[in-house]
Amino acid sequence: MNYKLVFRLLGRLLLMEAALMVPSLAVALIYREGDAMAFVYTIVLTAVCGIPALLLKPQRDDLTARDGMAVAGLSWVILSFFGALPFVFSRAMPSLADAYFETCSGFSTTGSTILTEIESLPRGVLFWRSFTHWIGGMGVLVLTVAILPRLSGRTAHLARAESPGPTFSKLLPKMSDTAKMLYGLYLGLTVIEAVLLLAAGMNVYDALIHAFGTAGTGGFSNYNNSIAHFSPLIQWIIAVFMMLFGVNFTIYFHLVRREKEPILQNEELWAYLGITLTITLIITFNILPQTKEGFFTALRNAFFQVTAIASTTGFSTANFDAWPLLSRVLLMVLLCVGACAGSTAGGFKLSRVLLLGKSAYRDLEHTLQPRKVAVVRFEGKPVQESTLAQLGVYLFLWLGLAGCGTLLLAVFQKTDLGTAVTATLTCLSNVGPGLNRVGPTGNFAFFSTPAKVLLSFLMLAGRLEIYPILILFSPTVWKKN
Amino acid sequence: MRIVVIGGGKMGSSLALSLIEEGHDVTVVDRNESVLQRSMDTMDAMFIKGSGVSANTLKEADVQHADILIAATMGDEINMLSCLTAKRLGAQYTIARIRDPEYLTSLPFLQKELSIDYAINPERATAREISRMLRFPFAGSIETFARGRVEMADFRAAEGDPVVGVPMREMYKKNRHLPQVLFCAVERDGEIIIPKGDFVIQPGDRVHVVSDVATITDFFIALGKGTTSIRSVIIMGGSRIAYYLASMLLGMKIKVSIIEINPEKARRLSEMLPGANIIQGDGTDQELLESEGLTDAHAFIPVSDRDEENLMSGFYAAQRGVKKVIVKSSRDNYSAIMHNMGLDSIISPKTVACNSILRTVRGRASRSYAAVERMYRLMEGKAEALEFIAEATADYIHVPLRDLSVTNDALIAVIVRDGQVMVPFGNDTIEAGDHVVVISRRTGLSSLDQVVKR
Repeated sequence: MNYKLVFRLLGRLLLMEAALMVPSLAVALIYREGDAMAFVYTIVLTAVCGIPALLLKPQRDDLTARDGMAVAGLSWVILSFFGALPFVFSRAMPSLADAYFETCSGFSTTGSTILTEIESLPRGVLFWRSFTHWIGGMGVLVLTVAILPRLSGRTAHLARAESPGPTFSKLLPKMSDTAKMLYGLYLGLTVIEAVLLLAAGMNVYDALIHAFGTAGTGGFSNYNNSIAHFSPLIQWIIAVFMMLFGVNFTIYFHLVRREKEPILQNEELWAYLGITLTITLIITFNILPQTKEGFFTALRNAFFQVTAIASTTGFSTANFDAWPLLSRVLLMVLLCVGACAGSTAGGFKLSRVLLLGKSAYRDLEHTLQPRKVAVVRFEGKPVQESTLAQLGVYLFLWLGLAGCGTLLLAVFQKTDLGTAVTATLTCLSNVGPGLNRVGPTGNFAFFSTPAKVLLSFLMLAGRLEIYPILILFSPTVWKKN
Repeated sequence: MRIVVIGGGKMGSSLALSLIEEGHDVTVVDRNESVLQRSMDTMDAMFIKGSGVSANTLKEADVQHADILIAATMGDEINMLSCLTAKRLGAQYTIARIRDPEYLTSLPFLQKELSIDYAINPERATAREISRMLRFPFAGSIETFARGRVEMADFRAAEGDPVVGVPMREMYKKNRHLPQVLFCAVERDGEIIIPKGDFVIQPGDRVHVVSDVATITDFFIALGKGTTSIRSVIIMGGSRIAYYLASMLLGMKIKVSIIEINPEKARRLSEMLPGANIIQGDGTDQELLESEGLTDAHAFIPVSDRDEENLMSGFYAAQRGVKKVIVKSSRDNYSAIMHNMGLDSIISPKTVACNSILRTVRGRASRSYAAVERMYRLMEGKAEALEFIAEATADYIHVPLRDLSVTNDALIAVIVRDGQVMVPFGNDTIEAGDHVVVISRRTGLSSLDQVVKR
């Protein structure tokens, strides 16, 4: 590892985080609820830790792929720590472990909370809690690449490690232009949503909080009963935007440039829309008997919950834990699959599922016709065999983490099987709620400290797609070179 | 500018890397997935898999909006077709690598019919470069500016040279007989230094000097490095470079022998080059070299396709006292080693072609009048020598140099006004239309305003 360069990059990221806390400080100053000093302390402390690292002069500025990945993993661990400090200093959360869990949940856009009572907290703190969703959604490394002058010629590694999906596609030749374009689209969509929410009757503060929560596909709300607090119109708006933020941002790029062809060819997009609508209809009819208010309420609740889980946002308007088994199972399947690659959503990613399915079909065909030479095609292009092999490995790692996570959770916390399995999956998939005790009405407060640390780790691993977090455990990464 | 490079091979990737350094938006197209994978880690460019002759691939690379398309694949025909297709799709300017000697005579109308704005033949350009170096055997390399009025030459300082051990400001006080040239750059231990007043040249440094043609020649005579002209040359390897070079040298009435191991190739060379002495044999065989008169030859030029063989026989020839040895080597990473071992003249077709393409690109990129007239890269691009024409409206015009601030890593080497070459001092001014030669450690300069400010 090129320590000097890595530290310099981390120093920059800390300063970036300090700067990103300034809006929250401003909110705290506006509402004067006693949390402003918590932000002042954190900003000063973060900057003080970040500045010395900037003075380092690395001899070589070439960032290897391995170092890039390690920086991505390390930076998320460290940023979550510093991001947790406002919660600690303002005494909004009982312990550092709780605050760390909440911040990881924020940055990784999970939206699982340890808070049992949200509405009484100072608004500056709640603003920061939701703002972490917005930063984590598109990624802080991508933001650094977009707005800071480059430190190394190979920044592609950084943004690639942070961007979800089996392959990273650049929109423009230069990495920094691509990052700018991504953030531009992201900001634009967020603003549109906030304006619509305002028009639908939300106040400015709530509109921002919920726009952040939707854009990052996070799911923190500042109300105890989440989106059920608001009118049906607002619920529809948020549901539609949750679906939109689960779409690969490349689609919006093509939309802005008025290019039809790549959008029509995008199999993942059409599969995503198709699955969302089909499952919405199934669940609507499944929950219709127990919905007293009639068909449209059932449809609204079903659509909202399907988009909330599929896009891995995790807002809720209804207690889906009380729904029939079929609906709950369908939601849990969506929870694992997640939405499109290249979106702000988490999960295993639909394109991976599609590719694995196609590859399985091809291999099945191969057993019947051993001499047949067949290529797996995706979105009109043949897929490299090495990509397919990597997918298998990723599937193994993902399932392995889910299995080991559940196992360890069983060691750290006494609870029922449904809670343990869905808590692990929801954290790994960055969704938020699970079933039983971690269902939409429950929360994560009851978990023991080691269990919270384990779940924080799973959230970061899920957000960064496992490798950047996992390689931090490899001694070769830490060897000086 | 938006630039599409077809072909991610040795030349394509090295070009793309330089273009990215200069801030252009680069898209690389290659058919080979593994080539793209490798480049993806080191290059901040967009990569498209596909063939450069397919309109679909070119569209995907967005050639419709490209300012320049550079076709640098192995195949001449592919390159030509890429240019044609890209031009039809809307690319502004096309550059093709065309290297087959067979196309040489038809090139003018091929270029016109196929919409190739600029055709580069790396081997021919290399041969031209070698023939130029042979005209000035005393220097490791020589570059010309201002339509040949100004020259920049380099030599390796040796123990006992009058320029060694003297601070720059006392150079001409101590050496009154030495013709006045400008010491513009010194390479030492892989670093390039722009010498200031208290800089002292040490033995082993590679020193670049600039002046007008006559003074440069006098300077080398005064240094005792002499200038006898080259009258007989041995070329090792019957490559394309050898063919182009031999025809150029024969035109200059220089005796040429080419050693080629492959009998068929040797025969074909003999057919194509009636005036040359073609020898069929192994050019690395020392006995053969001796019997063909290596020690009597004025220059030995190994240009075979195998760099390692070129190097070995180059070393052998230098050791046997051949006055001028020019080695062709396509690998950049060897040149530092070769310099250290005493081979000063190394030439790489890839670098020659890249430089000439970069010059064209920069010429198109800079919209201002003070465009780059000529550009040379020193030491694998660690520094550059550039020629600008001063713009009438610029704010540095007619101001004594001492009142101007010149960026720290650059040096104004010479000013050429109405054909007069002068090494500038504090009282001199830059006037509109002057040719100004600048040596800069910062690469990618595209206008004189970036160097001098008021």
